[in-house]
Amino acid sequence: MDQKRVSRWTTAFMLGVLLVQASPVWAQAGTALGEQTLGRPYWHVFAAYAIVWILVGGWIFSIVRRLRRVEERLGNE
Amino acid sequence: MRAYLALVWAVTRKDLLVEFRTYERLTAMGAFAVLVGVLFNFSIDTAVVRPQDIAAALIWMTIIFGGMLGMGRTFRLEEEDGALAGILQSPIPLHALYLGKVLGNFILLSAMATLVFFVFGLFFRLSFSGNPVVLVAIVGLGVLGFVSLTTLFSAMATRSSMGESLLPVLVFPLLVPVVVYGATATDRLFAGRPVVEVGGNLRMLAAFAIIFTVAGAGLFRFVIEE
Amino acid sequence: MNEKQIQWSVGVLGALGVATVILLHWMVFFWVPTEATMGVVQRIFYIHVPAWWIAFVGFGLVGLCSAVYLWLGDERLDRAAVAGAEAGMVFTTIGLLTGPLWGRVAWGTWWEWEPRLTSALILWFIYLGYFLVRRSTANPEQGKKFAAVIGIIGVLDIPLIHVSVTWLRSLHPQAVILSAENPMNLDGSMGATIGVGLLAFSLIFASLFLARYAVAGYERELDLRDARLVGAQAVEA
Repeated sequence: MDQKRVSRWTTAFMLGVLLVQASPVWAQAGTALGEQTLGRPYWHVFAAYAIVWILVGGWIFSIVRRLRRVEERLGNE
Repeated sequence: MRAYLALVWAVTRKDLLVEFRTYERLTAMGAFAVLVGVLFNFSIDTAVVRPQDIAAALIWMTIIFGGMLGMGRTFRLEEEDGALAGILQSPIPLHALYLGKVLGNFILLSAMATLVFFVFGLFFRLSFSGNPVVLVAIVGLGVLGFVSLTTLFSAMATRSSMGESLLPVLVFPLLVPVVVYGATATDRLFAGRPVVEVGGNLRMLAAFAIIFTVAGAGLFRFVIEE
Repeated sequence: MNEKQIQWSVGVLGALGVATVILLHWMVFFWVPTEATMGVVQRIFYIHVPAWWIAFVGFGLVGLCSAVYLWLGDERLDRAAVAGAEAGMVFTTIGLLTGPLWGRVAWGTWWEWEPRLTSALILWFIYLGYFLVRRSTANPEQGKKFAAVIGIIGVLDIPLIHVSVTWLRSLHPQAVILSAENPMNLDGSMGATIGVGLLAFSLIFASLFLARYAVAGYERELDLRDARLVGAQAVEA
């Protein structure tokens, strides 16, 4: 139960960071500056940072999963 | 030293004798070479592409793919009959066993490469205006590098559950330098360029062959021991 | 390092890493100026280069630990090699995915046989071979030895591969692409941002590497314990 809460909070935090990264986009979307500087390149940057988060997060997740399996096996002692 | 070379040759001789009794690997590789040449002929629209322009690439890819066919079986006999345990107990140093296998494979694959050049030359009407000795050196060194890596990995593949299908996945990334230097040199030689332009390729292929034959000899015991 | 020290290190390095990552994001998105020639997409640079750095550190670790593992037979070196290989795989994948995202805007194509990207693609497959071979044997100890052999061969080959790929590329000078390969006029703030990026990735890598190493250690101990139990039961029977 506790682990589920931790993972939910972690996921929420990561989503929050992703959205914060995108915030300049929302802020400038309507403006004249936005017309010039936004668009495709910005989404590429956003995607690149998201990829880093997702892949590193995936590795963390796999390590945590291994640890949980180890704890289970210890529990079976 | 002479005793060592005699040991190596003993291994090679045994493998070649076995091969010449059944011609199993040679037939597979030879038929592959010819049939691939045939298929390439059907896959190239000569109105749009000149086969001579891509001949070097086709030749090298055929040698590599066909080589995989033959090399995968390097240790099959030993594994199947349990002969490996016997060999491990004999006093032969494992690097001598490795070098013997490499030499045997080198001879077989060189024969196949010769066939590939001949068949592709015939099918695609290739004309060769370069220096044949240098071409032989290029192909020989490339084949040696290929064989040294593949023999080592073939021992691994034989003992793993994935078997021979694992071999290309492991070996192809590592063969990039052989393909790069071998194919570009062959291209240049076919085009009749001066030998000087191919000198660098020769050196790199030689370096590759030496590095991986030595590395293979050193690492072989970790792959073959229980 | 004993268990407590490792746990403490993982925690501290992890916390520092997260803090540095947050700092990096602030610097990249709110502080550093946009680069003149390439525009916004250049900001990918600040994670793309650190990703390569860690990928090669991981790769070097795999090679070194594999070699010493085969030489000394110490199990812990194999664990370090696996942790390094997982890190290398993760960060090589990051590099391979962020590179084209950058390249699509900077060069106009998703894929370009640019030497670093090409070498990285091959490196990814060498890592793949490392993991495939580890799992493919009936005897896990043999799998570890096989993987170590691949690690060593890979480390020997990658410089040759990179040289050959660079040479091949140099035969066909393509002015537009080449200028994109050596792009930037790095001013001070950009240099600082890259430095923070390198630091952030290094801290995260160090933390996760130690964690993975430790978990591998626990798994090993449990495997040994199970093997002993089976042996004891066999004796009793």
